[in-house]
Amino acid sequence: MKINKKLLTLVSLMLVLVLVAVGCGKTTDAPSTGDTGASTKDTVIVAQNSDAKSLDLHATNDNASSRVSKQIYETLVSQNEKMEIKEGLATSWVAIDDLTYEFKLKEGVKFHNGEELTANDVKFTLTRALESSHVAHIVDAIDAEGIEVVDNYTVRIATKEPFAPILAHLAHSAAGILNEKAVTEAGEDYGQKPVGTGPFMLDKWNTGDSIELARFADYHGTAPKIEKIVFRNIAEGTSRTIGLETGDLDIIYDVAPTDVSRIEGDDNLQLLRDDAISTTYVSFNLNKAPFNDVRVRQAINYAVNMDLIVEAVYQGVGKPAKGPLPASVWGSNQDLQPYGHDVEKAKELMKEAGLENGFKTTIWTNDNQQRMDIAEILQNQLKDIGIEVEVKVMEWGAYLDGTAAGEHDMFILGWGTVTGDPNYGLYPLFHTSAHGAAGNRSFFSNPRVDELLDKGKVTIDPSEREKYYLEAQQIIRDEAPWIFTWDREELSGLRSNVKGFVHHPAGHHALWTVYFE
Amino acid sequence: MSNAKTLQKQTLEKTSQPAKKKRSPWVTVWMSLKKNKSAMFGLIIILILIFCALTADFIAPYGFDDQDLMARFQTPNSKHWFGTDNFGRDILSRVIYGSRISLQVGFIAVGISMFTGGALGAIAGYYGGKMDNVIMRFMDILLAIPGILLAISIVAALGPGLQNVMIAVGIGSIPSYARIVRASVLSIRDQEFIEAAKAVGANDFRIITKHIIPNSMAPIIVQATLGVAGAILSAAGLSFIGLGIQPPTPEWGAMLSTGRQFLRDHWHIATFPGLAIMITIFALNLLGDGLRDALDPRLKS
Repeated sequence: MKINKKLLTLVSLMLVLVLVAVGCGKTTDAPSTGDTGASTKDTVIVAQNSDAKSLDLHATNDNASSRVSKQIYETLVSQNEKMEIKEGLATSWVAIDDLTYEFKLKEGVKFHNGEELTANDVKFTLTRALESSHVAHIVDAIDAEGIEVVDNYTVRIATKEPFAPILAHLAHSAAGILNEKAVTEAGEDYGQKPVGTGPFMLDKWNTGDSIELARFADYHGTAPKIEKIVFRNIAEGTSRTIGLETGDLDIIYDVAPTDVSRIEGDDNLQLLRDDAISTTYVSFNLNKAPFNDVRVRQAINYAVNMDLIVEAVYQGVGKPAKGPLPASVWGSNQDLQPYGHDVEKAKELMKEAGLENGFKTTIWTNDNQQRMDIAEILQNQLKDIGIEVEVKVMEWGAYLDGTAAGEHDMFILGWGTVTGDPNYGLYPLFHTSAHGAAGNRSFFSNPRVDELLDKGKVTIDPSEREKYYLEAQQIIRDEAPWIFTWDREELSGLRSNVKGFVHHPAGHHALWTVYFE
Repeated sequence: MSNAKTLQKQTLEKTSQPAKKKRSPWVTVWMSLKKNKSAMFGLIIILILIFCALTADFIAPYGFDDQDLMARFQTPNSKHWFGTDNFGRDILSRVIYGSRISLQVGFIAVGISMFTGGALGAIAGYYGGKMDNVIMRFMDILLAIPGILLAISIVAALGPGLQNVMIAVGIGSIPSYARIVRASVLSIRDQEFIEAAKAVGANDFRIITKHIIPNSMAPIIVQATLGVAGAILSAAGLSFIGLGIQPPTPEWGAMLSTGRQFLRDHWHIATFPGLAIMITIFALNLLGDGLRDALDPRLKS
C-alpha cells in the first residue's frame, strides 16, 4: 500500500513535468511557424543582400535600390512578367512619326505628397534623367528638345533618331516618374525623401539595416492587401535562409545555391525559380597585350571547362551561358558553337601566338562569393596552358572605376538586359562608342559589329533587327572578347503562406500583389 | 628601497649561479621547462607543426591547389582523410600547407614587432628624458587603436597579401614590446655592472646590445611566444574577412571562411582548419605559460 502511494506520487509528478514541458514546447513553437497570425498579418518582410543606396531614381541604378523604388514609383508604360509592354501611368500611346510618340496620361493620379500627376512632371523627370550619370544611358535616345507638353495629360516624346526599343526603355524602373515639386523641395535630400505615384511610400529608413514602406492611401490603382513592406538588408545568403526558416522573413531574394535543396525540402517554405535576363561573363582588356591577340583569347576559351565550373560554383542553379545574351532575351543566338574544353587546341593557339611558355596576368572580381570561386578555379585551369593568374578581389566602387579606366587584365562581371531588348544587352557591351564606364569594359571594337548594332538600334522591323543581332553575336563568339559563363536564374524563397508573388525577369519584383493566406 | 635590494640580490644570484654550477642560465631554464608537462606538450605540438611546415611538399598527399571538380564535398574517407572542399581539393593537404603560412606569419610578424618594439623600448629606457617621452607617447597612440582595427586599416591601405599581413599584424604589437623592454631597461640601467661597463669605456650601443638586452630577454621571450599565437589568430581573422592571404594559398582563416557558407551541409570543410588554429594557439599558450614560469627568477627553488 505504502509503495503504491509512493509510486502514485512519482507518476503524477512526472506527468505534471511532462505536461509542463509539452506546454512550454508549444508556446515556444508557435511564433516560429509564423502561421498563427495569418489572418491579421499585413506586413511582408523581404530580405535582400544589400541596402539601397538611394531612392532617387537618378542617383543610382543598382539592383538593391531598384527593388525598393519599384514599389514607390511607376513608369509611363510597364512590362509584365513576359516583358510585354503594358500600360502604366499612360493609358494610351501612338507613334506620330518615326521619331515621336504621344502619350495620354491617366487622370487623377496622386503623388505621395498630394500633388496631381501632370505632363510637366514627365518632362521634368526625363530632362533630369538625361543629366544623370547613372541612368542617362537608359534614356539617352530621347531628344531633350523633343519632349513636348501638349496639355496637362498629353506629352510627346521624341528620339534623336529612330529608336526601336524606346517603349522598353521607358518601362525601365529607372524611368519612373518623379514629382517636380517634391524634388525641388527636398533638394540634396531627395534620395531619402522619395515621392512617387506607386502603391507604397517610404515610411522609415534605418540606414544599413532596413527600409519600411507603408501603403499609400490615395493610390490610383487597386489597393494592395498588405499594409507594410519591410526590406531587410542581410548580406549573407545562409543568414537569409535561416531567417526564412525561423519565420523572421517572409520573402528572401537571391537564395544561395547551397540552400536550394534545403528550401525545396521544407514544407513551410516554397522556392520560386525563373530564368532571369542577366548573364555573368569573364572578359579581357583588349587594349592590353597579349589579350589584343584573338588567338590568346580563343586559347583561354578552349582551356577552361566552363560547364564544369558553372556546375561546381552554382550547383545546378541557372545554366552555362551560350552567348552574350541570356536565352530568355528576345533575339539571343543560342546556336553558337561552344568552344568546349580542349587543352591541346588551346596550347596550339598559344604557340601560334608565340606564347607557348605562357604569361602572368591578373583577374579582378568583386566581393561576390560565386565570382571569387570562378576566379579561383580559372586560376587553376589556366595553369594548364602556362598562364599564371593572380586573383584580385576588389571593393565594388574601385572595381567599377578601375575596369572603366582600363587598368585591368581579366575580370568577371554581370550584365542584366533589363529592357528585354537585345540592343540593351549588346550595344553598351560591344559597341566602340561605349568603351569604359558605359559598359564596354573589354574595350572590344569591331567595325562590323558596330555597324550591325547601329542598324539594329534604328531599324523598326523586328525580323530584320533579329538578323543583325544574330550575326553580331556570331562575330562576338568568334572574336572571343568574353568567356560566356552563366545565365542567371531568379531565385526567391517564400514562406508557404505567402501568395501572389511573381518574379519579374528584370529582377525588380512587384510586391503589391502579395498577400497572406 | 627594499625592492631594489631584492632585485639586486636576485640578479646577483642569477649571475653567480652559472659560475658556481658552471651551467648556462638557459640550461637551467630548459631543466625547469622540462619538468613542466603541459609546456612540453605544447612544445611537441609546435615542433610537429614546424616539421609539417618544412616538409609539406613530401608529407602532404596532394598539392594545395589540386582541384578535382568531380570530387567536391567528400566527407572524410580513406583517400581524403579530412575530406575535400568545394573545389574538390584535399583538406588535409591544405591544412598541412596552411601550417607553413601560419607559422611564417606568426614568427615574422612577431619578429617585426619584437625588433622594432625592442629597439625603440631600449632606446627610450636607456636615454630617458625627451627621447623617452617622444617614443613612448607615440607608442601610447598606437596602443589607443585596437590591434585588429589597426591591422585592417594597414592592410586596406597596402592591399591584401602575405607580406602586408605580416607587416600589419607586426606593427600592431610593437607597443607592448617597447613597453616591456623599456621597463626592464629602466631597472637594469643603473646597476653596477652597467656602471662598470661604462667605466671601462664601452659605448652606448655596446652597453645596450651586450649588457642590457641579454638581461631583459626573459619577459620578451614569454611575450613573443604568446605573441606568435596572437599573430596567427589576427592573420586568420584578416583572411576570414577577405583581407588576408589571397587564394589559392591555403590559409587556415581563409579556409574557415570558405567553409562557413557550407557549414550546414558539409561540416568538415570548416572543422579541420578551425581545429588546426585551435590546437596551434593552445600549444603556443601552454609553451608560453611554461616559459614564463621557467624564466621567472622568483619561482626558482
